[in-house]
Amino acid sequence: MTTSREALVQVEAVSKRFTPDISFGDRLASWLGSPVETRTVHAVDQVSFDIRRGEVLGLVGESGCGKSTLGRVVAGIHPPSNGQAMIDGLTVMGEGRNPLKTTTRIQMVFQDPFASLDPRVRIGETISEGPLAHGLVTKAGAGAYVSRWLEAVGLPADAAERFPHQFSGGQRQRVAIARALAMQPDVLICDEPVASLDVSIQAQIINLFLKLRRELGVTMLFISHDLGVVRHICDRVAIMYLGRIVEMGPAAEIFANPRHPYTRALLDSVPKLVTGSDALVTFKPIQGELPSPLSPPSGCHFHLRCPFVKARCKTDPPDLDGHAHAVSCHFPLTKKAE
Amino acid sequence: MSAALLEVSGLTTRFDTRNGSLNAVEDVSFTVAEGEIVGLVGESGSGKSVTGFSILGLIDPPGRIVSGSVKLNGRELVGLSHAELRSMRGREIAMVFQDPSATLNPVLTIGRQMRLAIAAHESLSEQAANARCIEVLTTVGIPDAARRIEAYPHQYSGGMRQRVAIAIALLNRPKLIICDEPTTALDVSIQAQILTEMKSLAAKLGTAMIWISHDLATVSSVASRILVMYAGRLIEAGPIAEVLRQPRHPYTKGLLNSLPGIATPGQDLVQIPGSMPSLIDLPEGCSFRPRCDFADGECGVMPALSVDGARSLRCHHALARGTAP
Repeated sequence: MTTSREALVQVEAVSKRFTPDISFGDRLASWLGSPVETRTVHAVDQVSFDIRRGEVLGLVGESGCGKSTLGRVVAGIHPPSNGQAMIDGLTVMGEGRNPLKTTTRIQMVFQDPFASLDPRVRIGETISEGPLAHGLVTKAGAGAYVSRWLEAVGLPADAAERFPHQFSGGQRQRVAIARALAMQPDVLICDEPVASLDVSIQAQIINLFLKLRRELGVTMLFISHDLGVVRHICDRVAIMYLGRIVEMGPAAEIFANPRHPYTRALLDSVPKLVTGSDALVTFKPIQGELPSPLSPPSGCHFHLRCPFVKARCKTDPPDLDGHAHAVSCHFPLTKKAE
Repeated sequence: MSAALLEVSGLTTRFDTRNGSLNAVEDVSFTVAEGEIVGLVGESGSGKSVTGFSILGLIDPPGRIVSGSVKLNGRELVGLSHAELRSMRGREIAMVFQDPSATLNPVLTIGRQMRLAIAAHESLSEQAANARCIEVLTTVGIPDAARRIEAYPHQYSGGMRQRVAIAIALLNRPKLIICDEPTTALDVSIQAQILTEMKSLAAKLGTAMIWISHDLATVSSVASRILVMYAGRLIEAGPIAEVLRQPRHPYTKGLLNSLPGIATPGQDLVQIPGSMPSLIDLPEGCSFRPRCDFADGECGVMPALSVDGARSLRCHHALARGTAP
């Protein structure tokens, strides 16, 4: 994969495995010579991608596919087990990491604004705490600075004096976005930022993201399971399945011409608004369920559920080809079939 | 249309809280015909779930049904005793809840809980009960049901647990199943599987359903009629394709415009400004008035639900019908 010079975020062959601590009993057993079963979760497996400055990359997948873990590795919350995430050429985590240089340049917006804001801290303090600690603003200038960001996310300036419980879910999510932006990050990582909101409020927050893109040129990694939202906001989309990216490319291209059987099946699974007639909607549900990441299948991870599976898929894991619309499949779909 | 199986009229459910009384459901009337799937749509706080709970008599203090009636096959359910409600629940009307990990008992095997659900309504031998459980589990798509029946809920995945919850609802062959956001907690691929199966099950067994959801697209793919609720009241109802194609209430139209799937990517969505008012402190007149583009002096009075053929509407400024005269 080519790493263009303008790439702001570079993720290179990142893997993340979680191994639970070995219990005392197991340690004793292994000391006595009996084999101990280690249960390692392969959450993210050899993932590489770039995000250019000002670009919004959508990361899509079902629960357990590793999209949130990947987001947290990029944000420097989890260290990667292998590979590295870099921002502007600086490694986010790992050896030679300079926390001040990287972590303040990445901010996160989480799914649940009821859990991500401290209920006992006034909104103004929540927003100014980071910038004050990192010297982005002086104590004297903090008030004006906070109002500026409150205004940017569409909240009144007097919100600074209030507490989180005085706000609705949509307003809280605006506060969480203001808190992230006030750090003037290069990259914003949004982990399902609209998933817990009602439809009418969700539309308001989507419009806010669109406005921030236009006006501030924010670079974003937008993690979501909602294909409609991703299609609406993102320039490029990466589809994850069981820890690997199976398809990546321009959003319009992927939604119009999915090349991986999983992407296609995922798109077919989304209920469409039926307004034409009373005709029955026929889904083409994907067979089976997501296999456990504790023991991912051999070869292509999707081969157990794939309608086009062949012998090679069971043994030989495909790689992401290097095209602009990249797909990781031995037998990619050519065109949207009948 | 066949005779009404369920007839809800003027249902009002009130909660007395420390901060005051609120009507979570106010003056809601609708019918469900035999074998019909009706979608009940609204945002959080619209009263859609409380409507479902009220039908089953599942409202606990501080909540209570203050007026209205719920009739199943002509029999009044409001005011039934605890014991009478118990014998009705599960046998005549069953419910499927949103979160299957919260509705299944974690310390009983799937088979045990299912046999208990049967034993609540009829006495069957253990073998006969078991056979019925396996049969129903197979119907909802649980592979290898005869073996899986002795597993515990934690040994099932989320999608499989929801299938079990649906199987339990089907056990006593109820006439009506109330589904409260049954696929919201599931992934899209599993949701698609469940939607397809529920729909074909309803057709095969002739079971009527009330499908409660916030997701218009999901509802539009299962239901034949839609009821839209806002701030406790029914504001629009009708055949689903018609309502979605030509919404007549500004709120329904606003909801449709809010869906990112319909708009051109990258374009601002046509949003509804503001958020739903608190039920304790509702604006005078139409509850949607503060967020509505068409609001004027007339809206200071709560509009009545007007019925026009198969459609009904609660609005002074119904949107034009488009091509219709």
